[in-house]
Amino acid sequence: MKRRKFDIAAAPANTGRAVDERFQVATPLRRLLNKVFPDHWSFLLGEIALFSFIVLLLTGVFLTFFYEPALTEVIYNGSYAPLRGTPMSVAYASTLDISFDVRGGLIMRQMHHWAALLFMAAIVVHMLRVFFTGAFRKPRETNWIIGSLLFWVGFLAGFTGYSLPDDGLSGTGLRIASAIMLSIPVIGSWVTAAVFNGEFPGTIIISRFFIAHVLLIPGLLIALISVHLGLVFKQKHTQWPGPGRTNANVVGERMFPRYAIKQGGFFMVVFGVIALLGGLFQINPIWLFGPYEAWVVSAASQPDWYVMFLDGSTRLMPDWQIDIPIGDGYVIPPLFWPTVVLPGILVGLSTLYPFLEARYLKDYRSHNLLQRPRDVPFRTGLGAMAVTFYVVLTLSGANDVIADKFQISLNAMTWAGRIGLLILPPLAYYVTYRICLGLQQHDREVLAHGVETGIIRRLPDGRFVEVHQPLSAADGNGHGELDYAGWVVPKKMNRLGALGPAIRGFFYPIEKPVEAPVSPGHPPVEPRAEREEIGSGETRS
Amino acid sequence: MTSDNDRRRGLLARLRGRPVARSRGRRRLGAAVRLVAALMLAGGAYTVLAPGASAQENPPLSGAAAEGKALFDVSCVTCHGRNAQGVEGRGPSLIGVGAASVEFQVSTGRMPMARQEAQAARKPEVFTRDEIDQLAAYVQELGGGPVVPAGENLHADGNVAIGGELYRINCSQCHAFSGGGGALSSGKYAPSLAPATDRQIYAAMLSGPQNMPVFGDNQITPEQKADIIAYIQQSLKHDGDPGGFFNLGRYGPSTEGVAIFLVGIVALVFASLWIAGKS
Amino acid sequence: MSRQTEQSAGQEPFDVDDPRLTRFDVVREGARRDDIEIVHYEPQVVAGSKAERRLVRTVAGFFLLTGLAATAFLVIYIWWPWEYQPGRGGDKLYTPLLGLTLGVALLAVGFGILTWGKKLLPKEVSIQDRHGGVSTEDQKITGQTMAYMVDELGVKRRPLLGVSLLAGLAPVGAVVAAPLVGGLISDPHKDDQMMTTGFAPRDGQKIRLVREDGRPIRPADISAGGQITVFPGVEHGVSNRYADSPALLIHLRDADAEESRRNNERAGHGDYMWGNYAAYSKICTHAGCPASLYEQQTNRLLCPCHQSQFLITDNAKPIFGPASRRLPQLPIEVDAEGYFVARSDYTETVGPDFWERP
Repeated sequence: MKRRKFDIAAAPANTGRAVDERFQVATPLRRLLNKVFPDHWSFLLGEIALFSFIVLLLTGVFLTFFYEPALTEVIYNGSYAPLRGTPMSVAYASTLDISFDVRGGLIMRQMHHWAALLFMAAIVVHMLRVFFTGAFRKPRETNWIIGSLLFWVGFLAGFTGYSLPDDGLSGTGLRIASAIMLSIPVIGSWVTAAVFNGEFPGTIIISRFFIAHVLLIPGLLIALISVHLGLVFKQKHTQWPGPGRTNANVVGERMFPRYAIKQGGFFMVVFGVIALLGGLFQINPIWLFGPYEAWVVSAASQPDWYVMFLDGSTRLMPDWQIDIPIGDGYVIPPLFWPTVVLPGILVGLSTLYPFLEARYLKDYRSHNLLQRPRDVPFRTGLGAMAVTFYVVLTLSGANDVIADKFQISLNAMTWAGRIGLLILPPLAYYVTYRICLGLQQHDREVLAHGVETGIIRRLPDGRFVEVHQPLSAADGNGHGELDYAGWVVPKKMNRLGALGPAIRGFFYPIEKPVEAPVSPGHPPVEPRAEREEIGSGETRS
Repeated sequence: MTSDNDRRRGLLARLRGRPVARSRGRRRLGAAVRLVAALMLAGGAYTVLAPGASAQENPPLSGAAAEGKALFDVSCVTCHGRNAQGVEGRGPSLIGVGAASVEFQVSTGRMPMARQEAQAARKPEVFTRDEIDQLAAYVQELGGGPVVPAGENLHADGNVAIGGELYRINCSQCHAFSGGGGALSSGKYAPSLAPATDRQIYAAMLSGPQNMPVFGDNQITPEQKADIIAYIQQSLKHDGDPGGFFNLGRYGPSTEGVAIFLVGIVALVFASLWIAGKS
Repeated sequence: MSRQTEQSAGQEPFDVDDPRLTRFDVVREGARRDDIEIVHYEPQVVAGSKAERRLVRTVAGFFLLTGLAATAFLVIYIWWPWEYQPGRGGDKLYTPLLGLTLGVALLAVGFGILTWGKKLLPKEVSIQDRHGGVSTEDQKITGQTMAYMVDELGVKRRPLLGVSLLAGLAPVGAVVAAPLVGGLISDPHKDDQMMTTGFAPRDGQKIRLVREDGRPIRPADISAGGQITVFPGVEHGVSNRYADSPALLIHLRDADAEESRRNNERAGHGDYMWGNYAAYSKICTHAGCPASLYEQQTNRLLCPCHQSQFLITDNAKPIFGPASRRLPQLPIEVDAEGYFVARSDYTETVGPDFWERP
């Protein structure tokens, strides 16, 4: 039995040794396996974007095997009867073939489109998390900038992608894009002619968009995503304040085994949700739109949701045309402001925000601990303002659908959008600010007086008072003031002594823990002797 | 004065657009028709300007039309006036609108109108099929006008591919690529085609109800109308969605955007809550 | 290396081959070398307990469900009748069933892995040092190293090198850009293409207005209150090659036509209409969508993209929304054979506005 020279049991060790002798990976690999990641649900939002990007790459490669980027005119003769005999471009015909003549092609197309929508949605949600918790502060400004660039590059990826089928709806979008380029002062017509090789639509735009969509933009995205993740790795993840957590450490789980397994599982979940969306929810039924013809349009023409805010801003823009009476006279069309200037301002504001805030607060220190939104009311208010602005624009981008389905006058919707865009953001700022202050105050009250117990006691003189359970050893007056640590203050009796819910279970409580040695609540984290500081590690008023 | 003009131009239009068999000979007759039209127009104008003269009551009505007049005098006379001459500020004249118009308005329940609105909305119909026919016969005999051909199925030999092209060029701008309808200016709207029958679609094209443009038989031939109806009824309404159980109302990107947040993001946030949860 | 010595300072030296050490001890030592302290490591289930067996069964169930769903996916993929048929037949279930089986397979494997990691692996809390602190000494050394490089190159002492390098490289940069810019650039005003459409008379011949199938149009073809999309009656006139050309030919009712003529007169377009017929460019002057939602009673024309509204009876003046310019009117008449022709091209620029638009 022991004859064979190859010892299976020793093989991994031998291989490992052989590899390390050549590449010296043992130390860096151990460091990687041991890297600690903090655990919080909101830290998983960015992963949704990352994983949908992977799905996009997988499904996108499949689609390129069947898609033909050409505007050559053909007569359709595929399976879809209601379009048979219709003249159309090769691009549109091949997209119809993917939908009706390639086995399983339709679900791939739909998964690709849903993954794109999810990619953008996850980017936005992730960005909101980063913004509202202050995770963009020094030293992470670069990653914030890369993140906002990812949104805009994703925006371009989406736009070039949904233009590829050359269907009626996307062609209309392309027409508008050409008008936007035309509206740029001085160079507009030259830019448009360069992109379309002459007048709209020309014959080459689809193949140019194709190479941009499958090579240039994904390449840029991959590069940006790599740097983004590399920086997260290098700078280590931010964490919430809490027991034992300081600005100088990371408290969490090591990458292996648990964290990596969770990530792998989550990837599968994201993939699965995209598959379900792609199979069960019809998206972009191009066969109903028909081929793009410059004279055909449908009521309620909208771009995909992440472009809709620009469509909305265009709809709300008044007809302010600027005439420049020099020479033959020149024009700046109203289209220029909401579609070129506004995105320009948004890019500038979003990328510069970390620096503006640091300057305003005169805070140039490094921050690795997150802030609860309530603790920075002005930033939370600004965020609410931006979100409101964006939502009003996005809703205005669909204002004809809303007008039709809720039987509101279209013109009234436009006016509501115009007024709402001016009034609602400041209102959102004010309301959010007040809510933040209220929440802060309540936290301080609980820290000072204790948790409401729900026990009403009648005093000898007839008054009724509620009994409060102090959070710390009370002083003589029954008051024990605790410092606010920047983290959740327990406000219910059953939360005392636990960071997580005292009643375990996600959807239903598991009342009786069985057998397993359960530690009630948070594991006891003993700080090392040299670290005295417990709490946020930051000074707060 | 506008109601006068309504009446006159309606008359002229119906005469031109009457669905008689088209032939090369008819084109040559264009001038003659125009002459006749002018004469009728003058007659119509006279009728309008002299409302007291009730010369039109004289021709005897057929049986169905007489029944229709009885119904008319009960349900429609308030707004459309005696002999359907219209009432200023309440309802237009029905002289010359034709049976097609009656068919559309009454069979979709838009008439009789409950109250004056920006646009009459579809309601459960008040009259039975026979009563609608009688009303249509009455209005037809009053002043002529376009008539919907007989039969319930008007798209039997329609070609969906041709119909689709015609639909996209003539209809989709208002009724949307899905036939779901869309908004027009200031509270007006193009209704959904979902509940529309063959006859109603045909009648709408012929008569141009409310703000819908008229698509007379010279512009879109009866065969082409059959193609369009075939596309609407078969491809838009009867064909299932190959892309999933849920078509999100076929509103396009707006509901898709709602879905990605309400379904995709919500599901995945719940998943993250569970993954990072302490339990 | 310094960290290692710090670690071992207070304790006895660590020997990885020490047989008394458990594997976890080695792991913990490895973590310490990476400045990680595993402060809490606690199994969630007792080995061999009922709870463990139940969890193992759950995870295994998930994995088996994956296999089942994946097999179902393959069976459906191969044997389900999937070709398009009109109606609501089984082919409409193909994509949903694929999505359902694939989704269930992926979700099951995902939740299987997650349950494994979340419930069966020990809970842990580790603390890692960030080492966010920067070493000013290192900064200075690196700075000096770079300055030293510059010194050695001696650009300061030999300025000609620097200047000539810049002067030499600048054209190279331009060389890189030239083919791209030069290849892409295209004169937008070539053949006056932005100002002309298919309706421009050719060889003195006026261009007919035709339908989408190429047939010319007689006045009697459009009923009052009707509208039709018309194209230039030239080769490929009904195609995207003439994307700027399509017009909406509208037959106005008498009173509206009267008003329209009056307003045309005022705009200097007195003879642009023929009878009660008027033709306006279908391409919105705002963003180029086909503005074609014609309301025959109010005579408004709505563009579905951005809700610009044009009043047809007032020379297609924009009355609502973001559009700032009238729709160009196409001057029309009827030729000897009784068909509509364009008397000339549009007299204003068609389509969205741009800087040098006259």
